[in-house]
Amino acid sequence: MKKGEYYYRGCVGVLAAIVMCALVVGFESSSYAADENVVKIGNILPLSGPSASVGIQGQNARKLATEYINKAGGIKSLGGAKIVNIWTDSKGDPNVGVTAAEQLINTDKVHLISGAWNSAVTYPSTQVAERYGVPYIVPVSVRDTITERGFKYTFRIAAKDSWWARDQFLFLEEQKKLTGTKLQTIAFVYENGDWGTGMRDQWSVLAKEFGYKVVLDEPYPSTASDLTPVVMKIKTRKPDVILLTSNAADAILLTNTMATMKVKAKAVIGTGGGHADPMFRKNTGKNCEYMFDVVEWETDLNRPEIPDLNAEFKKRYGYDLAGESVDAFASVYVIADALERAASTDPKKIRDALAATRLCVGDSRLGIDILSYDCVEFEESGQNKHAGIILVQFREVDGAMERVTVYPGKAARKGFPAVFPMP
Amino acid sequence: MDIIIQALINGLLTGSYYGLAALGLTIIFGVIKVINFAHGSLLMVGMFAAYWMVRLTGWHPYAALIVVVPLLFLFGYALQGILIKPILEGQRDVREPTEVIIVTTGVWYILDNLALMIFGAEYRVVQTSITGQIFMLGDYIFPKAQLYGLITTAVTAGLVLWFLKYTKTGMSIRAASLDRDAASLMGINQYRVYNIAFGIGAMIAGIVGCVLIPFYYVFPTVGVIFDVKCFIIVVLGGLGSIPGALAGGVIVGLIESTFSQYMTSTWTELIVYVVFLAVLFIRPAGLFGEKRDW
Repeated sequence: MKKGEYYYRGCVGVLAAIVMCALVVGFESSSYAADENVVKIGNILPLSGPSASVGIQGQNARKLATEYINKAGGIKSLGGAKIVNIWTDSKGDPNVGVTAAEQLINTDKVHLISGAWNSAVTYPSTQVAERYGVPYIVPVSVRDTITERGFKYTFRIAAKDSWWARDQFLFLEEQKKLTGTKLQTIAFVYENGDWGTGMRDQWSVLAKEFGYKVVLDEPYPSTASDLTPVVMKIKTRKPDVILLTSNAADAILLTNTMATMKVKAKAVIGTGGGHADPMFRKNTGKNCEYMFDVVEWETDLNRPEIPDLNAEFKKRYGYDLAGESVDAFASVYVIADALERAASTDPKKIRDALAATRLCVGDSRLGIDILSYDCVEFEESGQNKHAGIILVQFREVDGAMERVTVYPGKAARKGFPAVFPMP
Repeated sequence: MDIIIQALINGLLTGSYYGLAALGLTIIFGVIKVINFAHGSLLMVGMFAAYWMVRLTGWHPYAALIVVVPLLFLFGYALQGILIKPILEGQRDVREPTEVIIVTTGVWYILDNLALMIFGAEYRVVQTSITGQIFMLGDYIFPKAQLYGLITTAVTAGLVLWFLKYTKTGMSIRAASLDRDAASLMGINQYRVYNIAFGIGAMIAGIVGCVLIPFYYVFPTVGVIFDVKCFIIVVLGGLGSIPGALAGGVIVGLIESTFSQYMTSTWTELIVYVVFLAVLFIRPAGLFGEKRDW
């Protein structure tokens, strides 16, 4: 081999190496830039199984809010970065939810997680996010302990269940005074998951405090094919007040079976969830009339932005906004606001920005302006301290079953005082 | 009013439609020797068929049987003929064609997700003329929809038994279920027999749909709620046995309704499983099962 050819080959080799390096660096920097321009939210939701209906409503609300925010220019402090949602189906199963959280963090490299509706799923999956230091927004999951573990990366927008239970009893006290109705016995009927049992624990403490005699304490599986036995038990114990915690399918089945079996009580109060699902009214018809429900949100609230947004939502997805979809909708705005202030996708900085959130109605953010309470501001624990609850009664208005806000007094719809006791 | 008598009434009524739901599963197993994992999905298809018939025509749910029953029969017939037959042919020499179980699992997933795609995840209830209607006997309440369900179960089981015992097709089904090779040698087209058996299984799912529609809700994974229950009932009563399915259904219904008066309903599920294990321990072939070597 001649010496010149050797050098020539050497030069080609070096050149090729330089080109390769340049290409690799180029690709790396371009993919880096692409990462910089999207913020990935990993969503864990029950998209199939018994809570699928409410999970899909939360998904639709997130889609719509994301579309609005991206259309308005995305996250400006991040160069107009777009929000991208990644969806995972928890099936309402804690194990699936934990795996989903691991996968979102390790494989999809999401910047935040949002979810998971079922408290049983939220509880362990927030633990995964805490371990990795990834902010986890919980629009709705009411179990108290979710924000009582000293976690730094979990933020809950909706009220926790002790606040729901507290308001259920306060409402009963108000009605006792207003109508002079005697209420002495109470029945707890609840789905046997984390949510139901969490509500029950609150109820038993409050029942003692307010002087009720608990005549029935009945958990049941949400997937039960028949709830007649439960209804029979309610019938024999004859409680004045029935407190329910149900998912959608069982709420429908319980209400219809109670009507068939002619179960009467002075007040039947649901705890959102299945009773707040628009399917509940549609599928129980007259059977749900005069029942009460506690809920974080209602379409008849006095907020000017609600009618337009609700019309758009209904046009796209075929049903009204509800508590779950509004909190999910607002959550995307809370996230966008935090990202804007963090001006970074570093999880620690996003977390600090979330902790400093203070968004109030009237700050011209659509997602916040439709809330029933005034502000979103997190306590040290990550709980939104302003979150509140309203009570509604199912009433027939102009031939259609509606949820009429009856409590607290100032938020109540005009001309519709609560019908109490139930006829 | 004695609460236990009312609980027994409810258990009997509920148990009868559990039994009817399990009937299709036991027939398909008895003939093809295949556990049909898509059974819950067949129930779902039956319920949706009944739901849409009642919803769109406004007919009485039992009038919808006229359309739903042949429709579901054809559906089951085609499902077996198109999807399962090739596997059975491929496993001609195997006594227990286990691969078919995997195929039925696939059918389950496909049907459930197709329904989710077409109808959405929402729960649907239709108001019929018997919805919420009751019939009182003294102090005791008989919901009309479930009372009709009990009668329908008895009539359906009777007709199926008669069909299997006295018609030519029924006899060929029984022959094929005893020994499919021997039946083939006698000139019975075993695949046609299987199609018919699957058709009958699906047809019963359609009947269940019409029975349930007046008081139950429909959604794409509704089958899962009944699936496990059907398997317990069928094994409890004896695989392949028609009286077994009915007895199993009533036993499960009675346990659920009576025991839950003394304990929380979450615990009654445990009782069902304890009884189930006890029966299998004493009679491994189930209550009405015959000792066979399948």
